[in-house]
Amino acid sequence: MVLDDDVKKIFLETFPALPESDFQWGKTQKDYEDWDSFAQLNLITLAEAKFEITFSDDEVTSISSAKNLLDRIKSHI
Amino acid sequence: MNTIADFLKNSYRAYPDKIAIIDNNSKLTYSELNQGVNDFSSFLNKFPKNSVISLLFDNTHEFVISYLGTISSGCIAHLIPTGISQKNLMGQISSAKPKLVLSSENHFSKIAEIESKIIEKLRFSEVKKISSNDRKPQPSDYAYLIYTSGTTSSPKGVPITHSNCVFTTTNIVRTLQYSQDDIDVLPLPLSHSFGLGCLHTSLYVGSTLIIHKTVEIPQIFDSIKNYNATTLAAIPSTLSKIVSNGFDDSSNILSNLRLIITNSTFFPPETIKKLKKILKNGKVATYYGLTEASRSTFMIFDDDNKIESVGKPSDGISLKLVSNNEESTIGEVWIKGHNVIEKYWNEEHTKENLDDGWLKTSDLGKIDDDGYLYILGRVDDLINISGEKVYPQEIERVVKVLTGIDDVIAVPMKHEVFGEVVKLFVKKSIESNISKTDILTHCIKNLERFKVPAKIEFVEDFPRTDYGKIKRFMLK
Repeated sequence: MVLDDDVKKIFLETFPALPESDFQWGKTQKDYEDWDSFAQLNLITLAEAKFEITFSDDEVTSISSAKNLLDRIKSHI
Repeated sequence: MNTIADFLKNSYRAYPDKIAIIDNNSKLTYSELNQGVNDFSSFLNKFPKNSVISLLFDNTHEFVISYLGTISSGCIAHLIPTGISQKNLMGQISSAKPKLVLSSENHFSKIAEIESKIIEKLRFSEVKKISSNDRKPQPSDYAYLIYTSGTTSSPKGVPITHSNCVFTTTNIVRTLQYSQDDIDVLPLPLSHSFGLGCLHTSLYVGSTLIIHKTVEIPQIFDSIKNYNATTLAAIPSTLSKIVSNGFDDSSNILSNLRLIITNSTFFPPETIKKLKKILKNGKVATYYGLTEASRSTFMIFDDDNKIESVGKPSDGISLKLVSNNEESTIGEVWIKGHNVIEKYWNEEHTKENLDDGWLKTSDLGKIDDDGYLYILGRVDDLINISGEKVYPQEIERVVKVLTGIDDVIAVPMKHEVFGEVVKLFVKKSIESNISKTDILTHCIKNLERFKVPAKIEFVEDFPRTDYGKIKRFMLK
């Protein structure tokens, strides 16, 4: 559960305008108004820094929800 | 006054018994300084006028005598920073072609390695009076030669005439109201344009100059306290340290200064505010200039409105901003005036950097409606993210406010999608436990998304020039 909390925190830090009550693991990129390509870059950078991992290009493009991100991180640690 | 030599002559005549220079070991009156300079000058009569004399000294009275003695004899003082690497020393000697290389005892081993049969190498103590000095410099003669720090490219030799220097010094004195009553504390290298300008100013008005070999804040405080100093010249990082929490007595010690002067394209607003609060009646000021165009603008921080500006052009100096070969509201800063050099040493770099008297600075600037100049960064340092031009300094300023960070440099990093993204090199303070995620979270809150670094690397230190400036281009 600690990992879940950490990933959720990364999400909320990347999208500061997102109220915590609106956070959903399955919500996808198209559901977020401000999840553009730069927000994607911020999200990936923050996750990589937090967990000291490096995503491949394929992984980066496949991450389109908080759940995706959590799964990808799990595969690295 | 027409030459730098006149500064000393005038002050010597007006105040012969007044203390001119204080260093760690000694105090010299204007009379003693004048005698020392005359004796030194006489020794140089054996060299032709306009010979280059290279000087490698710490901040001591020996340096002051050697420097003034050299220029008073009509020779050119090549000023070498003490932190110079052996490779760069050889490069400068090869370019400057001095007749004599002179150093203090502690630096002699460096110059002893110069392999040349035509260059004389001496310690200061080996210079003896020979005869009276009958040579005088002319305003158009070169007074000194400094090699620029090379933060963006290889060092360039910058020769400054007496006339350049008289113009600049007159501007400094008038703008910052220096007088013979001042007692100036100087923890800056005299081999650098900032420190040397302070020496000229002090000699011009006949004040007392306290020179420090190193930047030790307790010693700076001792000088201010023990000599009732009135001005302090220091770089922004020294001033930021002074007002940091580590020095509780800074308020008492600094409060009576009439002036704190620094030089920077960016002076942290928090530091300015803290200093202004400390000074009872004094002013905080900065200037913008290059070795090639010293003190081109001055900024006295009277209110908080223009706190990020480097001020307005000094008297007799013109500025313009150029973008795509046309004058623009944002663009490369070009400077013209009597402070600007006519050419570089050996004519190298002259064509690309000087155009009809205008010096192209490579600094990017903007001028507001009131005529105040703001330096945004360097032309070559812009980061191009999907066509958006990002000034690295903007990112660095945002990150620098975080506690636990000593210094930070933002550079472009190639990116498949965006062309370039921001990479950040961070030097943490000792015992800082700030994390990359702390920095990123702060950036996300305070920067547009595309400016947020895509990579952060912690470093022990940065590659630096002989003057201690960070070599940004080596991080790209």
